[in-house]
Amino acid sequence: MLREVAFRVEPGEVVGLLGPNGAGKTTTIRLLLGLLRPSAGTARIAGRAGYLPETFAAYDSLSVTGYLRFCCRLRELPNAAIELALAAARAEDLARRPIGRLSRGQRQRVGLAQAFLGAPPALVLDEPTTGLDPEQIVDARAVLRESAADGAAVLVSTHLLAEAAAICDRVVVLVGGAVVAEERPGEAADLEARYLGLVGQAGLL
Amino acid sequence: MIRAVLRKEMVALWASPLPYVVGAAFHAVLGVLVVNQLEVRQQAVVQPMFPLAGFLLLFVVPILAMRTFAEEIRTGTIDLLLAVPVPPGPLVVGKWLAVWCTTLVVLAPAGLVVVLAHLWGRPDDGPAITGFAGLALLAASLAAVGVLASALTASQPVAAMITVFGTLALWFAHVGSAVVSTGSALASVSLSERLRTFAGGAIDTADVAYFACVTAAALILAGLAVDLRRLR
Repeated sequence: MLREVAFRVEPGEVVGLLGPNGAGKTTTIRLLLGLLRPSAGTARIAGRAGYLPETFAAYDSLSVTGYLRFCCRLRELPNAAIELALAAARAEDLARRPIGRLSRGQRQRVGLAQAFLGAPPALVLDEPTTGLDPEQIVDARAVLRESAADGAAVLVSTHLLAEAAAICDRVVVLVGGAVVAEERPGEAADLEARYLGLVGQAGLL
Repeated sequence: MIRAVLRKEMVALWASPLPYVVGAAFHAVLGVLVVNQLEVRQQAVVQPMFPLAGFLLLFVVPILAMRTFAEEIRTGTIDLLLAVPVPPGPLVVGKWLAVWCTTLVVLAPAGLVVVLAHLWGRPDDGPAITGFAGLALLAASLAAVGVLASALTASQPVAAMITVFGTLALWFAHVGSAVVSTGSALASVSLSERLRTFAGGAIDTADVAYFACVTAAALILAGLAVDLRRLR
């Protein structure tokens, strides 16, 4: 259950949603996307959002391009958006592959590509680097920064403090369904110390 | 949007072994039953095939429809669709059309029975045409009920069972209609009674309206079920 959650993500900004398991990160994201209805308050995204769920699943019988074409039809985007999205997710090499034969990391790149389709003004990504190898993680972080530089508002839920420190302009720390801090991440070591302090204060350590 | 969903569903259905296995089993059983009927009657008629095919569809369509939403719910792909957001209407109609079209393709080889009957005698073509029209309408209703059941659960077997038992109840609704006070009402919702007119060579608009109403009602309820999933 969420309570006392209030934050904004501005265009051009990458905001990290941090918190221990069960803190309400995924619930917050699902509220934002309209997948859950809040019992009180509002959650809103100005414009279309690209979304990557925590566990990305697609249709195994389709090729990557076939799947992205399907996504384009649903979002009323031209097919030209597919190449751009694949390039943004560094997934051009997967274009003709059947989704059912992709590794976890490759699937995650396809998930990123579908989120990037049509360069949406908002990106909501739940654990976007899960399953990626180190080189791909570096690439994915760069892509998120590029998206923000292009004007997108990017919200990233992550367990990885180093990742938050590397890409986020701001972090929102959720503990027990409430925002307990909203600040600049600073260096990874500093963030780790502050985060552990916040979680410890909440009696979770 | 409906076309995109229909196309994706058709690819997913025909990439799986389901239509082939279910189709082979359907025609094997139907073939045995129809040949038996022809031997008993010693007449080159096609009418006996339609109730048999209709009854077998009660088991075929639920298997074809069970994965439509249940699989999306189980894997989580439904979240990506609802987050786009795709309205429930096109989603439900696209999936229903895919199941219905696949059922019609699976059913099509049953037309060979008509060809065989022509080889053996001179059957009346009228009942064959209306019989297949009745089966197509029945398949539309069963597909809609199957999609509705699939939208209610993440389990494909549960969705299939809901559809089978639900439609079996409707198929046999007329049984016992003589002994209960609501008998005529029960008989009027019986799928088998509605199909009987078509198999006899006639098309009653009341029967067409009945199948259309069952189909529309199930699709509307499926849309509501998908929408409720978004707003839970």
